[in-house]
Amino acid sequence: MGTMNKLEKWQGALNKCIRCGYCYEHCPIYKSTRWETDSPRGKLILLYGLLSGGVEPSEYVAGKLMECFHCGRCQKACSSGVPIQDVYQDARELLVKAGFDVPGTTSRTDTDVCALCLNCVRMCTHGARSFVDGRIVTDLLKCRSCGSCLDICPKQGVTIRRGFGTNPEELDREVAAFFADGRNPEAKAVVFSCGWSNYPGMQTASYEPDAMTAEYKVLVTVCSGRIRSETILSALDAGAWGVLVVSCPEEDCEHGGSPRVKARLEALMKPLAGIGVDPGRVQVVEVAQGNPKKFLEVTRAFMEDIRALGPLLKRSEA
Amino acid sequence: MSDINFEKLRAIVGEANLLRDPADLYVYGSDSSVHEGMPQAVVRPMTVEQVQELLRYADGERIPVIPRGSGSGMCGQVVPVQGGIVLDMKGMNRILEINLQDGYCRVEPGVVDDDLNKALKPHGVFYPPTPASSMVATIGGELANNASGTRSVKYGAARDAILAMKVVLAGGELVSFGATTRVAASGYPLERLMVGSEGTLGVIVEAALRFVPIPRLRCLGIAMFNQLGEAGDAISDIMGSGCQPSMLELVDKIAITAANKAEKLGLPEVEAILLFEADGMAKETIDPEIEKFRAICERHNGFGFEFSYDEKERARIFAARSKLFPSLSKYDERLASTSLADDMAVPFSKMAETANKIHEIAERHGLVMTAYGHCGAGCMHTKILMDTEKGEHWEAAQRAVAEIYEYVRSVGGTTSAEHGIGLSKAAAFKREKASVLGLMRGIKKVFDPNNIMNPGKLMDGPEDWVGETHLRYQKS
Repeated sequence: MGTMNKLEKWQGALNKCIRCGYCYEHCPIYKSTRWETDSPRGKLILLYGLLSGGVEPSEYVAGKLMECFHCGRCQKACSSGVPIQDVYQDARELLVKAGFDVPGTTSRTDTDVCALCLNCVRMCTHGARSFVDGRIVTDLLKCRSCGSCLDICPKQGVTIRRGFGTNPEELDREVAAFFADGRNPEAKAVVFSCGWSNYPGMQTASYEPDAMTAEYKVLVTVCSGRIRSETILSALDAGAWGVLVVSCPEEDCEHGGSPRVKARLEALMKPLAGIGVDPGRVQVVEVAQGNPKKFLEVTRAFMEDIRALGPLLKRSEA
Repeated sequence: MSDINFEKLRAIVGEANLLRDPADLYVYGSDSSVHEGMPQAVVRPMTVEQVQELLRYADGERIPVIPRGSGSGMCGQVVPVQGGIVLDMKGMNRILEINLQDGYCRVEPGVVDDDLNKALKPHGVFYPPTPASSMVATIGGELANNASGTRSVKYGAARDAILAMKVVLAGGELVSFGATTRVAASGYPLERLMVGSEGTLGVIVEAALRFVPIPRLRCLGIAMFNQLGEAGDAISDIMGSGCQPSMLELVDKIAITAANKAEKLGLPEVEAILLFEADGMAKETIDPEIEKFRAICERHNGFGFEFSYDEKERARIFAARSKLFPSLSKYDERLASTSLADDMAVPFSKMAETANKIHEIAERHGLVMTAYGHCGAGCMHTKILMDTEKGEHWEAAQRAVAEIYEYVRSVGGTTSAEHGIGLSKAAAFKREKASVLGLMRGIKKVFDPNNIMNPGKLMDGPEDWVGETHLRYQKS
């Protein structure tokens, strides 16, 4: 408890939280696990426990606090105006200082694999990675869990241990499951949506019938820049008529992901066009944060394009 | 009570659906109330069979079981005051059937209200009890608490929507109550008994609910009053006139001030605002309702009328109500908004008097309390805004709560309109139901002979909700 005394300045803010739970549906981590402890409210309750002595600091608690994609949706949704992100950040600092070196959703580098190219150090827009004593280290308090370093690493030597459904391998599995034989006969497309921009907003748009469609599946990625060419190709190979990537507007993207995914998909589509694949089958569209209406508009427009193009592969080929 | 056999729990639900770290247990000890407790285990059953096995085990070992939805209840219904196993029912969240021909849907208890309505909307129907917390509230939790919301004045509460349900009883037996038909004449309506039982009788594992057509048009009106009493008179006249509002809401001056302060709405700071909505399939049937509302309000010196069918305009008009909940938390930096005396129901003719009484009691005890609610359903809400670190504020709050419910009983009202009893309203509930507590305990004994289902709640809740429970706040 002693190490957590500095949280006392947040006592009033923690009292303000009325524990309504309205933050739940905005949190991609809670949406993935559905456990209360992974929700923003749950984490505030943990902090309350650390202050009151109801909870002891531990690796487990530190891990929960370090698991966050920093989208800030919880804070915007908070009915009591609790500065959730600031409270979390102070708690993380105290836990790290107390010696709890738990990665949570921050990235780690495998020193056995790392080629020391320093690409990740150069491209990290948060200054979270540095070259110290001959190896790459991540500053747990600066990392925003965007995964750009994973994406840029030529040796696949960077990992985020728990992706909560957003790691590329997890997305690949979801795509494969969506198009698996007979499971979704109406399946036509995959929509990858940046967790920072529009998807949480769309989840909370009440009574939206498109959210229930059987024709496409929305999958959340943290930072559209992490969408790999292989994932797009796997989706098309599995039977998708097309793939839509919804990214943040370039000027809003804190992680440099939007321009990266655009360049990557442009490079991908050139050779595919050469073998007769219509470039309209793979699109990147920008949608700003908290604009579910625009998200649905662009998705509907994309689905119209895809329906007009028809299937890319015959079912038997998929 | 025996120690928990975690191996047994693991064998039933699997490692992935079992929590036992003290941090997790601490989180699952809370809900949206002022109380907290500590369970020994949290499990997430995924099937009816798992619920049966869990209850067979818990009953054999006399371990309390607390079924839980999203934990958005305001009175401590899911706080494990005697420890035990929390059943996180959110794992059972499938919509099993939407049967348009026979007019019902079947769902598992962990389905979130908004998700059900998203699924129903393409069929042109909706599940109407919908509380303000519908984005997180589960159907199981809504049924256990008999939830309702702004439109319950026309469409009823959860108890009015239930047709049938499957329940696992304390010993693990699976039973079916009710029928999916629109009428079912004979015998005890056990499915309706389960609604509002707050997890004390069994675990709801499936529910068949009725739905209603989505109205093509909605028109929202607003009227203002310089006297709370005049707004109150308008409410009873509206409800006595044969009007059929789909919503009739009261917002008092403190709430208006709070909304203006926190959300900068720029509303006129009058004594009371009434919001009136009529819905239907044709303007020809809605316009006369709105006209009736206007005429009655005018008769009681209402002014500042506005009406709109337009969705955006309706949202603007409704802001005084929709922004209220968050506004109260932001009313004063030093004061927390606590769910105490949070809801009650009184006769229509007593709405204004009740609001005035709440203000008077709050002032006398040095507290800030507002009065608002779904007055078309006789439902009144308040919150106590107080410094939760001050012991004297808690003493004042305890006295205020007791006085408010004493008044509510004196005018023929009831302790809970839609939020339930749990812990913080148990004392008032027991006074109101004094003559039938024995019957209620007898019913519980039949359903749950070993008293493992959410013990210590409702009629067995604490008399002294401050002294006998653990409060989530640290007070001096």
